[in-house]
Amino acid sequence: MNPDLRKLLRKRALDDAAVDAFLAAHRFPLVDEESVTFVYRGEADAIYLHIWISGLDTAQPFQALGKAGLWAATIDLPKGSRIEYKLEVERNGQRELIVDPLNPVLAHDPFGANSVCQGWGYERPDWTLENKESRRGRLETLPVRSRAFGEIRAVDVYLPANYRDNRPLHLLMVHDGGEYRHFAALQTVLDNLVHRLEIPPMLVAMTQSPDRLNEYAGNDRHADFLAGDLLPALQARYPLLDAPEHRGLMGASFGGVASLHAAWRHPGLWGRLLLQSGSFAFSDIGRHRRGPVFDPVVKFMNAFREAPGRPAERMYLSCGIYESLIYENRSLLPRLQDQGIDVTLEEVRDAHNWENWRDRLRNGLSWLFPGPQWIVYE
Amino acid sequence: MTADAPRRLLLGPQRPAPYLREALEAAEIEARSFAVISAGWQEAESDIDIIRDAVGRPVADLELYRRAETLFAEVPKMGEAYRERQARLKEQQRLYRSRLKQLAIAARNVTRENAHPALVDAELRHAITQLRALDRHHLRATERLHAAVGPEWQHARNRPWRRHHDEIAARIEAHDAVIVTGGNLPVLLNRLRLFGLADLLADRTVIGWSAGAMALAHHVVLYHDHMPHGRREPEVLGAGCGLIQRFVVLPDPVHRLRRNRPGRLGLLARRMSPQRCLTLDHGEYACFAGEQLVAAHKARHIDRKGRHVRLRPS
Repeated sequence: MNPDLRKLLRKRALDDAAVDAFLAAHRFPLVDEESVTFVYRGEADAIYLHIWISGLDTAQPFQALGKAGLWAATIDLPKGSRIEYKLEVERNGQRELIVDPLNPVLAHDPFGANSVCQGWGYERPDWTLENKESRRGRLETLPVRSRAFGEIRAVDVYLPANYRDNRPLHLLMVHDGGEYRHFAALQTVLDNLVHRLEIPPMLVAMTQSPDRLNEYAGNDRHADFLAGDLLPALQARYPLLDAPEHRGLMGASFGGVASLHAAWRHPGLWGRLLLQSGSFAFSDIGRHRRGPVFDPVVKFMNAFREAPGRPAERMYLSCGIYESLIYENRSLLPRLQDQGIDVTLEEVRDAHNWENWRDRLRNGLSWLFPGPQWIVYE
Repeated sequence: MTADAPRRLLLGPQRPAPYLREALEAAEIEARSFAVISAGWQEAESDIDIIRDAVGRPVADLELYRRAETLFAEVPKMGEAYRERQARLKEQQRLYRSRLKQLAIAARNVTRENAHPALVDAELRHAITQLRALDRHHLRATERLHAAVGPEWQHARNRPWRRHHDEIAARIEAHDAVIVTGGNLPVLLNRLRLFGLADLLADRTVIGWSAGAMALAHHVVLYHDHMPHGRREPEVLGAGCGLIQRFVVLPDPVHRLRRNRPGRLGLLARRMSPQRCLTLDHGEYACFAGEQLVAAHKARHIDRKGRHVRLRPS
């Protein structure tokens, strides 16, 4: 338990005023070098800490401290970790999942918000925050007639601040582009990294699928949409560098699978892959246990692992070590290396969430598309 | 002699806001109009309104970037020869980098050895001698690559080249001073050399910022201690225009140098000697009349112990 909290509990006359003062004087949860203590104040029959860390129980009970309605739960948490959590409050047989009322730091995702615990030494990278010196790129929407899907798909296109019709650009296609923008600050990150010359000015096509669990799960039509519909539409509209090393695909979770599959289906087209927490489920023998939605993923991954080929020249993988997919990502690495692919896997003390993916963007993008900071002095 | 010597005003980055006009006034450089070299901006070369606004005087673009593209289209074999030379220069840089890395590691390792200080000092001196020998070797190698191509094409009988050269010379003559902007350093150096700017600028007032300031020196050093995937050793890129002989220019040190590493900085200063490492952050300048420093504002140089020492006119 956190030493400050222990000291508070040793007071003989622990009244509401003392607890109020303690709560006002501290940030929650209470973070120590190797552990973190979550605190709740209020009437309840039971409190549980919900964290999504592979290997730990999903729900860990709080201990009633017996004084002034205080509850606490302490877990080990290595330095540099970042985890997301919720509290489950049980009252009169009713259970409710809530964000931590004492912690204002939230992470948002398509399902709502989670509380964020920033472990000892974790700092949000400055390049993920808006910088008034960074010139802003702009977004425009490109309607793309898709033969693969038989409909028109709207794709948001990011143009860097210094966009010019006569300067050919690198191209990155991003799966779940809206989520990357809203929950992983993608546009701010691009503005900042271009400004810092850590990546070259690039055109980023942000795709959005109406049925991602189907289209991103190793789906040939999706791969053909990227290669046969979207890429030609972008080439017709914008100045783009025309070589595989100037073209990349990016995605997280199922988006990582979609990126890998698209490059595998069209070898030699995409030279760069940025795959975050890819859902690279496979089965060596028997059936997998991840549910029917993973059936097409496993089918593709089993085929891929059998004959990976050379889907790209350079790849960046990242995965949180608190997510179960770390096993699949680690096991993919040697297969890719065996193909002579210039590949790196970054493992981090985080889990399957958008802020993890946000915090890796600098390393991933600058690894795949090194900027001109070594030779440009503005 | 100093009073008649051409002025060279060296500046740091012009971001977040240009301070060109303030520096010109403080350095007492009076010019009614300026010729501009913005080849480092590449395709954006012609976007010089920002300079016009900054100096409040007429400016004329020398268009070195565009001229090179035009020239290579006019004389395709020349373009081919220069592209080939660029490829060789890149290979030479890669070979040099590979050797440099090992020598730099060796030098740093010496400083960490637990041995008698006199022995460490002697070995470090020798390690630095090796680094300097490699830098000199690389400079000579790049010059040889340039010499193998330049004289064949940069002469009066190559009429398209001569036309561009003479137009550039006339424009420079028509203005009181020349501004060289920052930007892509290899591209800038390439264009300066292609059109013989070192000679054309020799007796002119020249103002350079960032890459533009670096290019005016005897030789040019690339450096950045905060690369996303780890730092690289500062490396000599090649010769500059040689208008400033006694300094190597390091702009934007606040973002590019680990200034709290005196050992590393001292090593760089000793390696670059006899040239001194002149650092220029935003708002800072150093003004020379010929080789004589005549004015400076906050500009510093790095001494052999890695300290940032304020530069003062003598």
